Amino acid sequence: MYRRQSDRSDSFRKDSFNRGDDRIYEDEFGYSTEGFGGGEFGKEEGGFDPRWQTQSYQCPDAVAKFIVHLYKAISNRDVAEIENLYEIRYPQLTKDYFKEEKWPYDVTHLVDDALFQTLYRELYFRHIYAQLPTQLTFSDRCNSYSNYCELFNLILTSPEPIDLTLTNQWLWEIIDEFVYQFQSFSQFRRSPKLNNEETNYIRDHSYIWSVLSVLNVLYSLIEKSNINQQLKAYFSEESADYVAGEFGKSPLYKMLGYFSLIALLRVHSMLGDYHLAVKVLENIDLHKNAYYCNVPACQITTYYYVGFAYVMMRRYADAIRTYTNALLYIQRMRQMFQAKSYQNDQVNKQTDQMYTMLAVCLVLHPQSIDESINSVLQDRKYAEKVSRMQQGDLKEFENSFLFACPKYLSPVPPALDAPPDPNQEPLHIQKTIFLQEVGQQIYLPTIRSFLKLYTTMPVSKLAAFMDIDQTVLMECLLCFKHKMYNVVWSKGISSLDGEFQAGSEVDFYIDKDMVHIADTKVGQRYGDYFIRQIHIMEELHRAMKKLKF
Amino acid sequence: MVGGSRREEVEALREEVTHFLSTVERYNSNNLPKFERYVQLQVSENLYDLEANLAILKLYQFFPNLYKPEILYWILLKAISNLPHTDFVLCRCLLGPTQLEDLNVMRINYLANLLEHCQFKKFWSEKVQDATLISQISGFDDAIRKFVCHVVNITYQSVDRAVLREILGNITDAELKSWIAKNSWKEEPNNMVYISNQEEHVKTKNITEKITFETVSVVM
Repeated sequence: MYRRQSDRSDSFRKDSFNRGDDRIYEDEFGYSTEGFGGGEFGKEEGGFDPRWQTQSYQCPDAVAKFIVHLYKAISNRDVAEIENLYEIRYPQLTKDYFKEEKWPYDVTHLVDDALFQTLYRELYFRHIYAQLPTQLTFSDRCNSYSNYCELFNLILTSPEPIDLTLTNQWLWEIIDEFVYQFQSFSQFRRSPKLNNEETNYIRDHSYIWSVLSVLNVLYSLIEKSNINQQLKAYFSEESADYVAGEFGKSPLYKMLGYFSLIALLRVHSMLGDYHLAVKVLENIDLHKNAYYCNVPACQITTYYYVGFAYVMMRRYADAIRTYTNALLYIQRMRQMFQAKSYQNDQVNKQTDQMYTMLAVCLVLHPQSIDESINSVLQDRKYAEKVSRMQQGDLKEFENSFLFACPKYLSPVPPALDAPPDPNQEPLHIQKTIFLQEVGQQIYLPTIRSFLKLYTTMPVSKLAAFMDIDQTVLMECLLCFKHKMYNVVWSKGISSLDGEFQAGSEVDFYIDKDMVHIADTKVGQRYGDYFIRQIHIMEELHRAMKKLKF
Repeated sequence: MVGGSRREEVEALREEVTHFLSTVERYNSNNLPKFERYVQLQVSENLYDLEANLAILKLYQFFPNLYKPEILYWILLKAISNLPHTDFVLCRCLLGPTQLEDLNVMRINYLANLLEHCQFKKFWSEKVQDATLISQISGFDDAIRKFVCHVVNITYQSVDRAVLREILGNITDAELKSWIAKNSWKEEPNNMVYISNQEEHVKTKNITEKITFETVSVVM
């Protein structure tokens, strides 16, 4: 039995996650009768982690003040102050006081507010994950999960939109972290370091960080916010007010819905479902969405996963376009990140990964790209990789893939009796598929390099150059054409749309026994260069004006 | 079952499956029987729905105990028959280690690999060994021939008639004639087949810079 969609929103009563009789998707989608919050691991087991119960930590004045300030700023909906406290003050205090220890767990003596508690605890756990990975305990993982459930329950089961204002950056980081911790748990679950007690606990509480509970949260947020309908209206330049609904009108729900779409893109990519990953964004015009969502980290994440999905779908022209847009965007936004150092590492890593994948794409599918991006690829770091890949070094393709690919995960726990075999890990499987694709194309760069030298050439002559049999070469040439003729996006909002095109630099056709070659010659470009220089001059000019002598 | 009601069944099922796909019902394992029946119909009625098939593979990913090898073989073979689209790769990315080690899956992967390499002659000779698996898929050979024709269409201006016959799977003269007609190719006297005028599509491009007013306006 399944319920119709329209029934669903009603079933999100406050306790809907907790009750066996109110489960939405029978066994697979419902939560165990213990529900979302019931499985607080440390608590239940009578203090698995002693710090959990008796936190007698005295927090420094500055920290106590910060917590109270943050609560006040949120109560007053003072967005500027929230931004300041969250993005500047919080990392600063963390640096000063919590480099090696956890933030205080219990702050009820400072602020007694259920919603604020869950928000604060989200930060508490996030800090442990990010900065104290060695102190991250099993109970932290489970308790963080129930804290997310509590938070999303408050948001999703409220009869009317809850009155909460947070910055988009914060909301993004909540959703982003939620997916990260899910991924982290999926890997942890497969680790041989688990002890018996933990293994049993996971087996008995299989809903904790299960893929279906995570998907359920994301889909619920998407539905609650009517985000797809809103985006459809937005990108067809209509007002979203008519379709947003009571909840969707609230920026909190709207942005959580939007970020959940991006989170789905990520989850599906991590499961190897590239088609669905890109499909969930079908209402987002990636060329215009920077106006919709002003969170750079979210933008970059979107580009990163979409680009990667394109690579796996053999849509190289689209991958190259996506990566180029992303890297240009990062170039423009550079200065903003530098101000907020805690976002820097992630952005730098993703930037590096995207340059690497862009290099891979350009080896497989040479075409001209933006000069400023190209100049980075000329840099030694990438240039060496590129030349090795061009010579058909599969190992280099493999290294690039391993460096730049998303974290892959298996949606189900490993068999309990057999230790996981590294050759069966999802990463290994995805890598094998990618390398098989590359293997099918590995001699294409060599053919291309010969073709480039001529405008016409008999098949026999090319076969002699390549030192292979003429019939084999014929197959290679067919394969060349086949692999270079791919779906390319040309218009429309959905990134899945597209039509077959031959977009690569060197193209040819065969007439009887003669290969006719068409090369692409790119004239020198000046416009970009001059515009950039003018910008630099203006920047200098402005800076000089500000100087006082 | 008579043809008419079969068509009705397909229509009804398609509608239902499309509804599943647009909601979280796509993750509900109770829907698997319907999804699987839909694959069966794709196989017997020569239809195709990538999205539904990917959803099935996802359900197998989430509920490994419900996995049915037969259905997987069908999905993979249907994916191959949709070349030049990369459906086969997309399906394969959703498989787990045990599925990938299944001998039939490895065999299908081998065939797909030959097609991706455009080693058509070898494909046709190898395919014979898998007759029991493949013969269930209605219209499989013709779907592959369509892919061969696609590659021929983008590659050749004119091609030797014997070569063409061979890569289409050593078909009879009459069949060859019908494929030539279907693609609007032309037989020429010297045993060649004229495909199309490629000079129009494949020509040297000179990309010169075009600066639009918009790009310059920011610095003016």
